[in-house]
Amino acid sequence: MLQARALSKSFGGVRAVHEVTLAVPEKMIYALIGPNGAGKSTLLNLLSGIYQPDAGELTFRGENLIGLPAYRRARLGIARTFQKIRLFKQLSLLENVRAGFHIHQDAPLWRYLVRGGSDRYDAEARELLQFVGLGERMHERAGALAYGQQRMLEIARALATRPRLFMLDEPAAGLNAAEVDFLLQRLVDVSRRGITLLVVEHNMDLVMNVAQRVFVMDHGVPLYEGTPREVQANRAVVAAYLGGEFAA
Amino acid sequence: MLVAAAPWLITTPYWRGILVLCAMNVLLALSLNLVMGYTGQLNLGQSAFYAIGAYVSTILIKAYHWNFWLAAPAAIIAAGFLGLALAAFAVRLRGHYLAIASLGFAVITYQVLVNWESVTEGVRGIYGILPPVGNTLGLFYLIAGIALLVYLAMDNLVRSPVGDTLRAIREDEISAAALGVNGALWKAFAFGVGAAIAGLAGCFYPGFVGTLVPDAFNIVESFTMLAMVIVGGMGTMPGPVIGAIVLTFLPELLRGFGELRLMIYGVALTLVVLFLPGGIASCFKRAR
Amino acid sequence: MLIVQQSLNGVYLGCLYVMVALGLTLIYGVLNQINFAHADFVTVGAFTAFFTATRFATKVLGVPDTAAYLVSIIAAFGMGALLGLAINAAVFAPLRDRGDELRPLIATIGVSVLLENAQLALFGPVPYQFDTPFARETFRIGRIFFSAQSVLVVVVSALAIGALYAFLRFTYLGKALRAVAQDRETAGLMGINPGLLIGLTIVISSALAGMAGALLGPVLVLSPFAGASVIVKAFAIVIIGGFGNLQGTITAGLLVGIIEAFTVQYLGSGLIDLVVFVLLLAMLVVRPTGLVAERKEENV
Repeated sequence: MLQARALSKSFGGVRAVHEVTLAVPEKMIYALIGPNGAGKSTLLNLLSGIYQPDAGELTFRGENLIGLPAYRRARLGIARTFQKIRLFKQLSLLENVRAGFHIHQDAPLWRYLVRGGSDRYDAEARELLQFVGLGERMHERAGALAYGQQRMLEIARALATRPRLFMLDEPAAGLNAAEVDFLLQRLVDVSRRGITLLVVEHNMDLVMNVAQRVFVMDHGVPLYEGTPREVQANRAVVAAYLGGEFAA
Repeated sequence: MLVAAAPWLITTPYWRGILVLCAMNVLLALSLNLVMGYTGQLNLGQSAFYAIGAYVSTILIKAYHWNFWLAAPAAIIAAGFLGLALAAFAVRLRGHYLAIASLGFAVITYQVLVNWESVTEGVRGIYGILPPVGNTLGLFYLIAGIALLVYLAMDNLVRSPVGDTLRAIREDEISAAALGVNGALWKAFAFGVGAAIAGLAGCFYPGFVGTLVPDAFNIVESFTMLAMVIVGGMGTMPGPVIGAIVLTFLPELLRGFGELRLMIYGVALTLVVLFLPGGIASCFKRAR
Repeated sequence: MLIVQQSLNGVYLGCLYVMVALGLTLIYGVLNQINFAHADFVTVGAFTAFFTATRFATKVLGVPDTAAYLVSIIAAFGMGALLGLAINAAVFAPLRDRGDELRPLIATIGVSVLLENAQLALFGPVPYQFDTPFARETFRIGRIFFSAQSVLVVVVSALAIGALYAFLRFTYLGKALRAVAQDRETAGLMGINPGLLIGLTIVISSALAGMAGALLGPVLVLSPFAGASVIVKAFAIVIIGGFGNLQGTITAGLLVGIIEAFTVQYLGSGLIDLVVFVLLLAMLVVRPTGLVAERKEENV
């Protein structure tokens, strides 16, 4: 579904991502892991269109993504969440999720300019909020939520775009154990609905339970790719996380 | 919610003049509010579009003998078009850069008006300009009526899905992009519309004052408009109207203080930003 | 020869602009904020210097003209520092942790309008003539003329820049400041008090602005609105050089000064602002992060 070949990106001489080649198959839960500073977030930003790569190829369902700005990629069916939660803090939960539905509105301009029409998708929006456990708090200000709940709201909003590929940047960061469980359950549910998931996580254990394939990065370069079990057993991966003490 | 301003039947010409000024300020504040209050872009160059509206319409009338009712739309289109041009730069820039670029645009416009003497008469100014409606009261009703129409149209716009889109851009442009929002397009839209409305206000200014000099449009005017929007309540519909009314009348009512009355803008702006970020409108809790 | 003369004039102008822009870029580097009132600090500095030099130092203290001017520079520096303290306490400190980019900026616009009108009320709109004894003296080397004022300006600027560099590089406070500029939270965790350092930055920046005012006084049309003519050029320089980038600002300032000198010579003074602005806008299109700066990774 998503194919990257020899993707590279530098910032002022620092090679954040170098010659990364990966392929995310459809309907899979695909994890992207690596120690801090591995370049995972940068790679995600390259995939979602926040950065344009210095070199390499990138296609999504056959369409070339290079040069396409972020909003166009969203329209192709790529959704994402951010490491640092980005919500419309002053707006209500309902309004946040509604915003996700706008992508489907292709009404003629005049219809668009007339008041009303914002609530077309409210029933679905409510469903999504229920799905993430926030159904009761629809009209509260997003900024008032606890951190874990904000994270779930971000997910609900992204799902409103009805993506084919959903990328999450360290979704479990800052969540307590119960919240992480809930999150993982929801992600499995999402995957069952046929949406491909690409999850960036720093913590290995979390994704091992859920991911079907894992891609490991370190210092901007690919290190290993395989099933969770293979990855856990791989020496190079272990060494990368432990700092090289156990390298063969 | 609208507060339909009932026109006052005030008798002294001076105060009638202030009413006209107030109506123009309402238009200006509304124009800026779309870009700043709803789309979250800091535009410090609105005075440029005010000037463009004034100069284009005046030059068309004086030099080419157009009718006011033809010249005005032409000027509005010119202002809107240039607003879009500025937006072409502006959309890539964020926050501080945009503020300065817009300020730079205002300065350039001012310089062009001063230096392009063959067309604009530079600092000498253009004289003997007649308003479209002869008497002051009539002029007031005209401008206030137009301001009301603009208010209604804008209110409609911000309650539409377009308003939602603009607000999304204001709140967080990056995640809005991840939701499929073309930030550049909508920012340009807001800029262009804001510029056109400022140009609209500009069409009435020369007739009201009678003469047209570049100095009426120096960058201080941008700050004045900014103050009106913020003091009134950025991001609400009644806010800019309130701000315009308050900041037009307050200096007049405090004339006894002499030169200090001009400080009111500065004081009001600073105090509001520090202590009442929602502006006066937030006192009435009209949140949108 | 004319080219050399103009280039040197350009350097002189450039130093003046650098002095103004330096404070702005410093605040941006540490605080990520723009102080719109900065140019008004310059004006206040100029007025302070004017009154110190012409009234206070000479008439009250009976100090000779030349020394009076030097004293006035110091006075302006001090006044700037005071203003910095005030604006920090009133605006930046209370709004600091709200994470809002726009509000402090607008508050500084408010302060700017306030200062301008306060000075208008105090000094009136009619410009003052700030004559310094240095301006009247000229030297000659070969066919090139220098005014003593220009030499003084260049010397003082060089000293100020040198002092700033040394401070940032070699002193504990300076290094702490750089740490705060790079990563406020972590610096805080390491025991550095960001609030204190931010306040210090603002004070230094404003003091520099005041001093710049003293140096600019003789050159500018000294009225309460003098700030307006300078501020936009100062911003242009900060952008061209790269926000927060000291070397860039210095380079850009000198560049703008030289461009201005040549523009005045060949195109007349009316078009200076226009040229600088077009340059600025071109810069924003081509290389928004400035001449010298490198692309900073956006933290998403």
